[in-house]
Amino acid sequence: MAAEVEETLKRIQSHRGVTGTIVVNSEGIPIKTTLDNSTTVQYASLIHSLTAKARSTVRDIDPSNDLKFLRIRSRKNEIMCAPDKEFLLIVIQQDEQS
Amino acid sequence: MREFVDESIEPVEFKSTWKRERSLASNESQTKEISLQDAATQSFKTFNQEVQSDLKDERYSLHTVNLDHQKLAAFLQKVEPMVMRYLGKNLKSRAFDDVSDLSEKTLDTVTCVHTLNSNDLNLQFQVTGLSWNSTGSTLAASYGRFDHEDWCTHKAAICTWNLDRRSVKEDKPDTFIDSSCCLMSLEFHPANPAWLAGGNFNGEVILWDLSREDDLVLATSGIGDESHREPVSKVYWITDQSPKMKNYNIVSVSGDGKILIWSIDLKKGKLRQLKSFLLMNKDLPRSMKVRGVRSDKEVGVTCISFSHEDPDLFVLGSESGCLFKCSLHSNESHKKSSDQAYSPVTFTFNPHHGPVHSVDCSKFHRHAFLSSGMDQSLRLYNMLQAPPVLIIEPGEGYIYSSKWSPTRPAIFAAVSEKGNLLIYDLHSGNMTPIHKLEASPNKVPVYSLQFNSQQKRILATGDGQGYIRVYRLPEKLTSLIVQDNEVLEEIMNTGSD
Repeated sequence: MAAEVEETLKRIQSHRGVTGTIVVNSEGIPIKTTLDNSTTVQYASLIHSLTAKARSTVRDIDPSNDLKFLRIRSRKNEIMCAPDKEFLLIVIQQDEQS
Repeated sequence: MREFVDESIEPVEFKSTWKRERSLASNESQTKEISLQDAATQSFKTFNQEVQSDLKDERYSLHTVNLDHQKLAAFLQKVEPMVMRYLGKNLKSRAFDDVSDLSEKTLDTVTCVHTLNSNDLNLQFQVTGLSWNSTGSTLAASYGRFDHEDWCTHKAAICTWNLDRRSVKEDKPDTFIDSSCCLMSLEFHPANPAWLAGGNFNGEVILWDLSREDDLVLATSGIGDESHREPVSKVYWITDQSPKMKNYNIVSVSGDGKILIWSIDLKKGKLRQLKSFLLMNKDLPRSMKVRGVRSDKEVGVTCISFSHEDPDLFVLGSESGCLFKCSLHSNESHKKSSDQAYSPVTFTFNPHHGPVHSVDCSKFHRHAFLSSGMDQSLRLYNMLQAPPVLIIEPGEGYIYSSKWSPTRPAIFAAVSEKGNLLIYDLHSGNMTPIHKLEASPNKVPVYSLQFNSQQKRILATGDGQGYIRVYRLPEKLTSLIVQDNEVLEEIMNTGSD
């Protein structure tokens, strides 16, 4: 199972433009990462709280709805967050033009 | 009759009434015996301990957290297709192209971040040279005067400011190195952020180490036959030509026509001359030669710029207005001259109509270089041909310095006698500056200009009263645009037809 996890993460990381992949658990603690320690901790805590906020917004509007995917477009890169009950996957993709 | 007879009279003795007989007695005494003792003491012990704060290459995975691999695999399986799809889509998407353009347009102004000057210099000195150190945080300025009529008796200085500090004292430099005569140029070491080379009015080339406590001078060329006999007009660092490419040497040029290459001897605190070149009248193009002037008279060198592509290739600007393409490997020796001096010249360009103040080779185009001079013009030359490919006359008086942008191939800046900083963009077709800013608070001529090659948005200018202005360029002027290279290439090719 562990090998399968590594495989999947490797596939995502090797996609063009991807500079980092982080998996965060429900408490906001990073479990898997391809970035260095300090960057990982920063991304994990900030994105985790932002995703939680986005999710509660979606749910407040319609309780039967749920957040599926959150994409943050910045000038330098795009941060993709795929949340679930127990985990959160963060992928950072560099903008090709910048 | 009585007879004289010998008679002996008994001596009479009487005891003194006041003196008494002394009585003597012997006695002994003994102090306590001195007791000696040995004992060893030790004030402190040392031991080594290694610490490592952060491992660079290690990929972190935190195993302390209890991991349910099965659930994680299921989660990843679920989200992977979606993530991969959008990763692919993102690369092709043009949705945000215009958005980023818009945001850049709003930040279109060049802003002045600092106006620096040293109170101790009383606005008497001109900024003769500016240089950023290798980390891009510290700006050094050499102060001196260009208008000497006699011996130089000025008390000039070098000042440095670290602009990365939280509080920059704009009227008080971090380092103040005073000098007994005017300093004419300076240049930071390309790798060591504390080393600074400079040249003064007396022709001496000096190397300072700003990190030292008291005596900052590391090495000096001294004044004599070996060194320059006129003010040093520029100093520059080059890498050693040895295959290791580890050593750095200093090149200095001067009004006496000499181009000297120095190696640093730290043990003796001396700069050792490795090679010397001499620029003479006979190197001038035929049209510039004046009858009656001896051909072995020196031509003063005012500026130098090395090609970024070929480390042996450099361009010289001279007091006669001529521009020369030169090579460090040139072996053509001047005949008639007594000392073994080589002429570096391999090619001559069409001259300016007055002394050349600055030349600068482009980082992005191997043949492009920029020159400016007293004839009020800015010129763009191609290394391969004599006539300039572009002449711009801004009508701003003498152009004291012109430099290419370190980030965008089609952008360059110039400073003028009227106290303005001009920024040109070759994109804009008509050759008017896209930005024109007052670089001098009191509108005196601006002599120096230096882009920061590390912090690419920063630019510094220095004026005739010693005021240094530090500008921040908008992102539009610093982020690379693909068409830039084409525009420059096109302009470089137009002249060759």
